[in-house]
Amino acid sequence: MADPKSAEITITLSNDELHILINLVEQLLELLGEANFIHHYQSDDPFAQLMFAAMGNIQSPVEQPEDPVLRRLLPNAYADAESSAEFRKYTENSLRTAKQKHLFYLRQQLLSAVEKELVKADIQVTDPSAWAIAINDLRLALAVRLDIEQSSYEKYELMPSSDPQKPLFAVYFWLGGLQERMISNL
Amino acid sequence: MSSQTQLEETLDLSKFFDHLWVTIVWDDPVNLMNYVTFVFIKLFGFSKEKANKLMMQVHTEGKAVVASGSREEMERAVAQLHEHGLWATLQRDDHGRS
Repeated sequence: MADPKSAEITITLSNDELHILINLVEQLLELLGEANFIHHYQSDDPFAQLMFAAMGNIQSPVEQPEDPVLRRLLPNAYADAESSAEFRKYTENSLRTAKQKHLFYLRQQLLSAVEKELVKADIQVTDPSAWAIAINDLRLALAVRLDIEQSSYEKYELMPSSDPQKPLFAVYFWLGGLQERMISNL
Repeated sequence: MSSQTQLEETLDLSKFFDHLWVTIVWDDPVNLMNYVTFVFIKLFGFSKEKANKLMMQVHTEGKAVVASGSREEMERAVAQLHEHGLWATLQRDDHGRS
């Protein structure tokens, strides 16, 4: 998957950064996995996987998700509701699975760094493209929660450090930098 | 000159209309410009120059048509764009303006 030219990225993350990132990844995995029988799907048990496939067929969604984050991550494909519902019915489950796959990969890379229990850990990024895609979904999710607009960076800079949302804004912009690094090597 | 059969072959409109679907990418304040360009290159095999031009069109005009073809092809393109976090829709072609 990773092209040899781009396979050489190493990033250094502090223990705090790793934990924040893992936490975000897991929150988004949980949100994407709702009503999706993720635990079965994740299992190595072939029977459980078969059950997941069968459930997936029964549970084909037609309605737009309620959560605004999911609405952004799993958007309507058509302007009209009827065609969108039809499209969603056949594609939403696989879209959720594709997003989960990127996030699971990112989580795996982060967890292997956490296990080393270092203050700062080097991570050998094996697939920068998958990192960029997973980070993009994390940024989209945060952006919905934080009401991010074009002018949000200025707003962030003017925010008093006592503002409880300020750390989340900081994480959002930090993720942008991290994503930029992944893309610059592609 | 041309027989009726030949004329009917030339005027197979159903084939023609089947290709009149477009995929539109919409601007949002989150996706990084470089990332959008990267996705266009990855999914559509555009040159860096073309991908960059379309990205700028999305950024400045709010949207851009990035692909056209059959409805099925455009549905696949939209699904892939969604997988990459871009905000995309498909619709019948109205000659690029709406």
